[in-house]
Amino acid sequence: MYSLLFKSFFRTKIFLVSLVLLMTVGLIGILIGKQYLVKQEKSIVAAQKFQEESIAKNVAYHSDDLGLLLYYLRFTLVKKPENINAISIGQSDVNPLLQAVTIRALEGQKYDTDFENPSLLMSGNLDLGFVIIYLFPLVLIAMTFNLYSEEKELGTWRILAAQTSGKASFLFKKLFVRVLFVFAILILLMFMASAILQIPMDQYFWALFLQSTLYLLFWSALCFWMVSLLKNSSFNALALVSIWVVLTILFPAVVNNYVINKYQVPEALDAMVEQRDGYHEKWDLEKSATMDGFFEAYPQFKKYPVPEDEFSWLWYYGMQHMGDMAAGETSKEMTEKVMLRNTVSEKVALFVPTMHAQLSFNTLAGTDMVSHLGFLKKLTEFHEDLRLDFYPKIFGNKPADQVDWKNYQVKFYTLEREVDWTYLMLPTLLITLVIGGFGVLNLRKL
Amino acid sequence: MRKNVIYLLAGQLWKNAFRSKVMLIASVLIGILLFFSAYSGGENYHDQNDTRGSMQHEVQESWENNPDKHPHRMAHYGSFAFRVKHILSVFDLGMENFVGNAVFLEAHKQNTVNFSEASMSTGLLRFGEVSLAMLLKVIVPLLIFYLGFHTIAQERENGTLKLLIGQGIRRKEIVFGKWLGLWSLSMIFLMAVFLVLLFFVVLESHDGLSGNSLYRYLVLLISYSLFFAILCAITILVSAFSKTAKGALVKLLGIWLLFVIIVPKSLQAMGYYLYPTPSKIEMETAVEQDLIELGDSHNPDDPHFKALKDSVLLANKVDDVADLPFNYGGFVMAKGEALSAAVYQKHQRQLYRVYGKQNNVERYSAFVNPYTAIKNLSMAFSGTDFQSFLHFKGQAEAYRYKLAQEMNRLQMDLIPNKGKAGPDTISSDYWKSFPPFEYDFLSIPEVFNNELISLMALLLWGVLAIFGLLRLSTNLKAI
Repeated sequence: MYSLLFKSFFRTKIFLVSLVLLMTVGLIGILIGKQYLVKQEKSIVAAQKFQEESIAKNVAYHSDDLGLLLYYLRFTLVKKPENINAISIGQSDVNPLLQAVTIRALEGQKYDTDFENPSLLMSGNLDLGFVIIYLFPLVLIAMTFNLYSEEKELGTWRILAAQTSGKASFLFKKLFVRVLFVFAILILLMFMASAILQIPMDQYFWALFLQSTLYLLFWSALCFWMVSLLKNSSFNALALVSIWVVLTILFPAVVNNYVINKYQVPEALDAMVEQRDGYHEKWDLEKSATMDGFFEAYPQFKKYPVPEDEFSWLWYYGMQHMGDMAAGETSKEMTEKVMLRNTVSEKVALFVPTMHAQLSFNTLAGTDMVSHLGFLKKLTEFHEDLRLDFYPKIFGNKPADQVDWKNYQVKFYTLEREVDWTYLMLPTLLITLVIGGFGVLNLRKL
Repeated sequence: MRKNVIYLLAGQLWKNAFRSKVMLIASVLIGILLFFSAYSGGENYHDQNDTRGSMQHEVQESWENNPDKHPHRMAHYGSFAFRVKHILSVFDLGMENFVGNAVFLEAHKQNTVNFSEASMSTGLLRFGEVSLAMLLKVIVPLLIFYLGFHTIAQERENGTLKLLIGQGIRRKEIVFGKWLGLWSLSMIFLMAVFLVLLFFVVLESHDGLSGNSLYRYLVLLISYSLFFAILCAITILVSAFSKTAKGALVKLLGIWLLFVIIVPKSLQAMGYYLYPTPSKIEMETAVEQDLIELGDSHNPDDPHFKALKDSVLLANKVDDVADLPFNYGGFVMAKGEALSAAVYQKHQRQLYRVYGKQNNVERYSAFVNPYTAIKNLSMAFSGTDFQSFLHFKGQAEAYRYKLAQEMNRLQMDLIPNKGKAGPDTISSDYWKSFPPFEYDFLSIPEVFNNELISLMALLLWGVLAIFGLLRLSTNLKAI
């Protein structure tokens, strides 16, 4: 029975078209991921070179004035790229991979963006994740919409009905053949991605794999349910494509618009201005306006003298730090708002498999909003470590050549994330079971 | 062609459409989406522009309220430019949420435009955004296909096409009657959207801008009408050349998926693949390298600035920079700023040229894909395309340069050289006399110029559609 079903399926035009479409676009997706990884690698190499050369050059110019030298020097923190990023590039094209900061106020440097073509950002990356979320369901739809109606419209259903014992099980087997084919391509592409992109087969990879499988099961169940209504081909095609449009375009877009409007982030702009003013106004105030706050934050530097009537680096870097302090509260609120956007989106996504798949792909690939916020937090710590390391050297008027510059290489930050299997799998699984169940109930009447 | 016959056939299509469930469901859905996108678009426009406007104002006030000080400190104090949204961004969001909104303008440094909505969003953003234009570009075309796939194919399947021709109705009348019916049906949605939009344009445009906005509005209205006309012609043609209505539907759905979703995205990705761009750190390294070769004002032994110093001393017939009739520090900074700004601009232009090449891969596909044409036209005339963003960026950089150089000039003229007697600060009146940042949108001729290709492609498609319908009128098969 199955061998016949496979044979007849392999002879259909849609089989060949789907095979070629999914394999080509899937491969393109993998190659785009590869290019993305290469670009990341290149910019890390450039950052390392930049840092090394700029330290060497500036040390030569300003070796007698460490305070001035550190006004110029930039130190880089890199979010260590993982090859799995390439499967779902997510938000990592909008958010920079690395940040090179001076020890001056951080707030004005933290949110600097990398260059990226906005047209590309708008159209989004054609990564493997996109192929799975958008194209695979379409292929499933194309292969199953006339599963029953085709037989009915060609007049073969009656013959079949007379010859097979279980009509429902016949349809089920026909569906099974097609779904199996789609899964075979998915597995093939996933392993190709793993080989070409050299993705380690760790828990993230398997979780991503499992999430894709469940996602396609959801679409299979949906198509099966549509077939079980026993409508004609045109109706099925129209209805399934409409559902696809609603689930992959309209609904997520509406939620996104809602979240963006509901949780606006004017704090971002406020913090930027507060930091500048918080720093600059100190130039026109008594030294104590700066030093009181600074010494409160870092009492260990109280021992260094602050000359009253002239410029000193202690005062200068104190003023810089005051800028960050002034913006601190607003900046924190901004992060909370962005986090809120994320939480709300994730909650809604639990009920919509397309959204859930996209968000969990990004989470697993480490390219989501949360991972970027994690990087920013790390950057703040990195910046403070640098400052606390250099402050005593500057304030103690150490010459630049006494600092061992070899220690100031580009630093890497490794993202840590946990896989919450239930949270990842359960929503889609439940929805799939419910829809599939309705399908089975419908077919009982057959 | 007899007009009344065409109207009759068009009317027949309307009747059938309103009897079908598709029209009912679609109308309700589009009605809800229309309301939602107009509301959220309007809210977003108000809130964002209010925030940005008041920030811009606040920034100017704090600039003016600075006490007397050294002008170079003011050059570092700097200012901000906030990107103002065009009223038509209510219609088409375009790249609005993918480009930055605020930039810090200071001496010596070109900062990036930060805080794009995308940088503060979750992965959901990539599903797209709902806007009035999105309804017209993405959803209504699908609806046109739904409503029109059976027009001719089904009449032929039912045998009624033969009857019509038998009754003396000409093929041309059938083709154009069906087309007119479908097009006028699609115009209901277009008109609904544009009526809503008219309120925004008339009521909300800033003074002096409403003429400009109305003009943009009209171009959009005409372009979309033409786009729909082309789509309806495609629908009729596919329906006529398909054996069955089902076949026509499957073909049309395929066309929609390819032209609206798959092809634009693939071509954009291909452009990116073909023309790689440097990362920021790579470009900064290149800029710095160029500056070192040309002249590095931070390097005390730099030959360029040394030569400059010698020539200035010679021209003014003095031996020491302190004896110059102007502040030498201000002079060096002015030269350094001019040099570094020019080098930065050069690299930036190169970068944008690569972006242009990347985008052109998709842009030129407008000749095979009318959706691309309308997409680019729509963004450009809504002031939300890449060129509009570059225009903002250009103005912000020009203002930054003017600010830095004005402060350098003040330093040269009013601050004494090192070791000379005189005040180290200048009056705060100078800050007040420096004009605030104001943004002008691109002029209409500039937008037309940017979108020549899309316009040409759309017009060409219009001609092609008429040609196709005329061809069909002669060889429409009745059976």
